Amino acid sequence: MSGVAAIVVVGAGVAGSGAAIAAAQAGARVTLVDGAAGASTLWTGAIDAGADPSDEVRAVAGRLGVVLGPSAIATTTGLVRRVGGHEAGILDLLPLLQDRTVGVVRCERPGWHASALVRTGGSGLVLLDATMLRLVDERLVPDADFAARHDDPDRLGWLSDRLRSALQRAGRPVHALLLPPSLGLDRARADELSRLVGIPCGEATGVPGGPPGLRFERARNRALASAGVAVVAGRATSVATAAGNPDRWTVRLEDRELDAEAVVLATGGLVGGGLEYQPSEAMLAAALPPTARPAFRCTIDAPVRLGAHGRPLEVPGTIFGVAPESIAWPLSRDALMDRVGVLCDEAGHAAPRLYAAGELVADTPRTWLRALESGVRAGLAAARETVKVTGAHPASHAQAPASRP
Amino acid sequence: VPDDPAPSLRPPDAIMAISPGPAPTDVFDVAVIGGGVNGTGVARDLSLRGLRVVVFERNDLAFGASGNSSGMIHGGVRYLSQSPHVTETSCRDSGYIQHIAPHLLFRMPFLMPIKTGLKGRIAIELIDAYFRAYDDYQPLKRGEPHCRLDASDMSRLEPGLTGSLLGGITFDEWGIDGARLCTLNALDAIEHGARVHTHTTVESVTRAPPAPDGDPVRYVVEGRDLLTQEVVRAAAHVVVNATGAWSPVTASLGGLPQARVRVRPGKGIHVVLDRRLTNYGILSEAIDGRQIFLEPWQNVSILGTTDDDYYGDLDDVRATSEEVRYLVQGVARVFPSVRTARAIGTYAGVRPTLYAYGKPEDALSREHEIVDHAADGSPGVYSMIGGKLASYRIFSQELSDLTSQKDFDLSTPCATHTRPLPGGERVPDALELAQKHGITPVAARRVVYRHGARALRILERTARHPSEKDVTCPCEPVLEAEVRHVVRHELARTVHDVARRTRLGYGACGGMRCAARCGQIVAEERGLPPHEAFALARDFVERQATTRVVAMGPEQARQEALTLAHLRASMGIER
Repeated sequence: MSGVAAIVVVGAGVAGSGAAIAAAQAGARVTLVDGAAGASTLWTGAIDAGADPSDEVRAVAGRLGVVLGPSAIATTTGLVRRVGGHEAGILDLLPLLQDRTVGVVRCERPGWHASALVRTGGSGLVLLDATMLRLVDERLVPDADFAARHDDPDRLGWLSDRLRSALQRAGRPVHALLLPPSLGLDRARADELSRLVGIPCGEATGVPGGPPGLRFERARNRALASAGVAVVAGRATSVATAAGNPDRWTVRLEDRELDAEAVVLATGGLVGGGLEYQPSEAMLAAALPPTARPAFRCTIDAPVRLGAHGRPLEVPGTIFGVAPESIAWPLSRDALMDRVGVLCDEAGHAAPRLYAAGELVADTPRTWLRALESGVRAGLAAARETVKVTGAHPASHAQAPASRP
Repeated sequence: VPDDPAPSLRPPDAIMAISPGPAPTDVFDVAVIGGGVNGTGVARDLSLRGLRVVVFERNDLAFGASGNSSGMIHGGVRYLSQSPHVTETSCRDSGYIQHIAPHLLFRMPFLMPIKTGLKGRIAIELIDAYFRAYDDYQPLKRGEPHCRLDASDMSRLEPGLTGSLLGGITFDEWGIDGARLCTLNALDAIEHGARVHTHTTVESVTRAPPAPDGDPVRYVVEGRDLLTQEVVRAAAHVVVNATGAWSPVTASLGGLPQARVRVRPGKGIHVVLDRRLTNYGILSEAIDGRQIFLEPWQNVSILGTTDDDYYGDLDDVRATSEEVRYLVQGVARVFPSVRTARAIGTYAGVRPTLYAYGKPEDALSREHEIVDHAADGSPGVYSMIGGKLASYRIFSQELSDLTSQKDFDLSTPCATHTRPLPGGERVPDALELAQKHGITPVAARRVVYRHGARALRILERTARHPSEKDVTCPCEPVLEAEVRHVVRHELARTVHDVARRTRLGYGACGGMRCAARCGQIVAEERGLPPHEAFALARDFVERQATTRVVAMGPEQARQEALTLAHLRASMGIER
């Protein structure tokens, strides 16, 4: 079975989704290959402050349920952090801490350090004693399961009663409530609770693997659908020039092939699973390795070069295999493990009509916003190329803003 | 000490300037340099005899060999043929240590597999006879007599053993957490009046000005607190150099000849696997015929150990991937699944072995020796050279006996073998505590293991501050109350210090879920600003990454990437 698409994006994390949405908005026909959860679903919901993002990046971030701009959020390590943006469901403390009082709800949940937050978060935070747990097991259930219990409107009503009576007992005016991860970062639910309680209520960030990742997946699915991106579930195994046509790519999945004019690889780095660390003596001290080779590989067979520090990767090792202490963390702050990836130019160009984005790219910081930026950039560059090649789309789309240097 | 060109312990005529700056205000009987097991052991012994002791430790308690050993108080079975009295004292001392810290010891039976063949048939008879002799000493340390097993017994006890085995021999030893042992000794010393400065490096030892009124102060030890850069000065009548592999360096600070305290530093590494793979310790032979082992230790397994001359930086000893391969390859010959087991870290230490030239590392004596520097013109200065974890108490007693008679004319007998270490008075029931305080039984067992009766104090904190029931490190697990306890009462000043005392962050997640929080607690307890908290956490995680990386397979690489990414994300650091 084979389909026709102008652009195939491999990888459905932040970078891949950003590339697909940006390319689709620029007028390209886009198919996204979703190989299931990667590093993006481990996101904690915080966006690191960085360079001012472009308008295209802002637009895509908005579609992914993210608010960009200076804000302050509470983390599960018990800290109030200044960030460059956050998942929309998280309570932004920045405007509140100016001259208001925020009640931090005490709750016996793992990773919720209300007293630590109050100590480190500034004078605007006060501790508030309110019962949020209704059943004994709620001290231990995962954040997402705890949040799911608030799907029940009765339960949300029960919670709002508790919070209101705690506010009455507080003995001083409290203008907003900060809750532990408990609402699944659902803005609508937080708004409903705020309406019931009468003041703004919201959550702190989650732990990796918690609700922010799930929220990202949901927002992404909506954004991809509304942008008209076709999503194919499955794992891509190879990207190769099409038989008989060196100007097209064939992306092989386990059960089908996709035909593309341009491909964006956004399969993630070591954490996401797009890159593998595979020392030739993976089983530690087995017999001599069959051959000496670089200890990293892409999980997709594609005509790209891996590298770091702007250079192609060499074989780092001895006849007995790799010596990790010479290539990995953290001989220096920028050791190979952190930097290895696909070599490409500023626009993410790794080979003709083949782009890389996100953590897969060599030498890039591993942050949410950088991943999105590189995805949008690669998506737009790919769109320009295919729209030009096929000529099938209006010229106005083809003149999408150039990527920034 | 910029104004003093030659701080030294040489006779007074060689000394130009004497203790620059203000006169020391703190006067002690004995200054101990080194916070390993010998240093803290001596500090405890002398404090129990009523002397005022100060301890200087350059890094943290148990930073060197004491905290990086194989984690055993063994009976010295290998000395049996040459010097049976060493075996006897080792076994007797092992018994004493069980008596004074019953919570800290766990039984660790070993299996020694013996292969089929003529050699094996002879070997098993010899080994059997050898251990029959060792059995005579086992009652001293509550050890079981050895057993001779056939091949089917062996595979029933440890199904993971392979190769055609003739059978095997068992022998009984005791495991211990060396870092806890040091901490408890230091703690007991403190509770008997000692002062302990960790992260404080000694910069000079000088002779104090002669006092006409017969002031017993003879030396001034000046150190610098490496975390605060404050100068710490102490005057003492006696100085003990208990700095293990650092001994020659320490001696030279006092102008003593290095050759007098020569050690032959032998590096030993261990590989930590993520769980208990076996119920018994298993001996195996490395490629060069050395004996190495796999042992279940607390909640992990440990592969050990190497013994190689070491010439590198003593403050930064690391395992290399070759050493890891050497151990894995050797143990895999009898226990192949060690190859696919998940290695979660390595640790390395340097033994302060007695110096000898022309001998291979394994043939060196593990004896200990006291060097009296009176012969070098510095009366009252002693160096403790050599020794091993299992003999720390008797070594400390020997030195304490010597100095208390010679320098203080004191005949108070040693009490370190009869008085329990802090928390060793009794071992509370962990399940009962778990129920009473509403914590998990696993957390209760671990806290009782580490703290014995003092676990009650820690858990009582949680009654007053319920938020301290929070689990800070889920792998071990460690409760917030325990983290605060070790910062307040056990001299922990960094995340790594907390880790040494509680094993926080030493589990499979490599500190991902606990380092940031622990850094915060430490910073809060010490009154540091929040960004210091993350610096503490980052130092720990990055240091741990360097120790894990050498044992790293593909899975561990992903975990490592995740740990660092998560920490950076929670701290807002780009790389």
